[in-house]
Amino acid sequence: MSMTRRMMAVLVLSAGAATAAWAQDVSPAARELDPLGRLSEGSRYQIELILDSARVAGLPTAPLESKALEGISKRVDGRRIVSAVRMVFRSLRDARSVLGAPATPDELNAAASALRVGVTRAELAHLTQIRRDRSVTMPLVVLSDLITRGVPRDTASQTILQLWQRGAADDDFSGLWRGVERDIVSGTDPGVALLNRAREVPPRGPSSQPEGSRPEGSTENRNS
Amino acid sequence: MTEDDVKTLDPYVQWIVAEARRPVAVDDAARRRLLEALRAEPQPTRRRFDWLLEPRRFALPPLATAALAAGLMGIGVIGGLVINRDGPKAGRPRAEVAETPRLPGSIVPRAVKFVLIAPQAARVAVVGDFNGWDVSANPMTTQGKDGTWTIFVPLHPGLHTYSFVVDGTHFMPDPAAPLAPDDGYGHQSSVVLVGGSSL
Repeated sequence: MSMTRRMMAVLVLSAGAATAAWAQDVSPAARELDPLGRLSEGSRYQIELILDSARVAGLPTAPLESKALEGISKRVDGRRIVSAVRMVFRSLRDARSVLGAPATPDELNAAASALRVGVTRAELAHLTQIRRDRSVTMPLVVLSDLITRGVPRDTASQTILQLWQRGAADDDFSGLWRGVERDIVSGTDPGVALLNRAREVPPRGPSSQPEGSRPEGSTENRNS
Repeated sequence: MTEDDVKTLDPYVQWIVAEARRPVAVDDAARRRLLEALRAEPQPTRRRFDWLLEPRRFALPPLATAALAAGLMGIGVIGGLVINRDGPKAGRPRAEVAETPRLPGSIVPRAVKFVLIAPQAARVAVVGDFNGWDVSANPMTTQGKDGTWTIFVPLHPGLHTYSFVVDGTHFMPDPAAPLAPDDGYGHQSSVVLVGGSSL
């Protein structure tokens, strides 16, 4: 092979390699599209493994990615991020085993949060076995919040369960939450506040909230 | 070889030379038959693209070779840029298994108003799963001097986790929303259920 041909072969191969390299990922703009790229290689690898496991298990990956990005945004070190993502993954897997396949990602996410604040699998199963035609997302969100704010777990679980059995609607749970939160801020014991406010929730029949009825318009979160 | 040279050769060789020099008498009829036979032979056909397969030799000076290679390299780089124009994730398949099965009406984003009263804050932003927890994505604005910071963010129906960021570094939950459990980062976040009852 002549020198010229050898030279041409090497340079043609280089051109191909350059194309492949550009096609993968090099530009800063491309890195912006991959926020997990801000993690160290080892942490990134661990997160990817967890995400792959979630996909295989049919679990939503959005809460896991969100947890990783939350850690990055809060400048938490990679090991803690991996640990937090792994914890969310385990709780999602546990929630799936309790709620079963029909559970929506929102229900799984809310149930996983409830498990992480101490709600037992038995309590979760009891809640979801009743009136499965409605979403358990709202009661689980309120339950997790109440426990986080200091309401004893047993009190919170039993109260939410009783309201759920009585047919309480999403509006009832949101009203309950507002009242309890206000009372706690005013200095009332969290457990007492919950029991007092729960008495104010009117009993409702099974048909009190038609399936799929949702308020329209914008949602407002106001701290007044 | 001259005649004198031939005479010095061996007689047998001289005979061979004489035979070789003797003119050959060709019969005209035989000659005609030979020519007719040659004419009757089919002409060799040349297909249209045979020239592409014929071996050729060419030579380039080193400077021209380098210029040609640089051109090829440029084509490669431009090709890579074109492929990469939409980012590395543009062509990647998403995990279908984890997507939310929602009714068509429930996929329409809704404007959610976030409000925080923080008179001392120089700047406030809202971060959450809806913006990748990007502090620069949704800065809030304040009107007047009462310290009320607001922003409308279009959110898809569903459960969202979020937090306020005050002055770029201080993460705090929304006082007007349920808390999400602390998962080890040392800060609590809030949750909002879009499409359900407002909390």
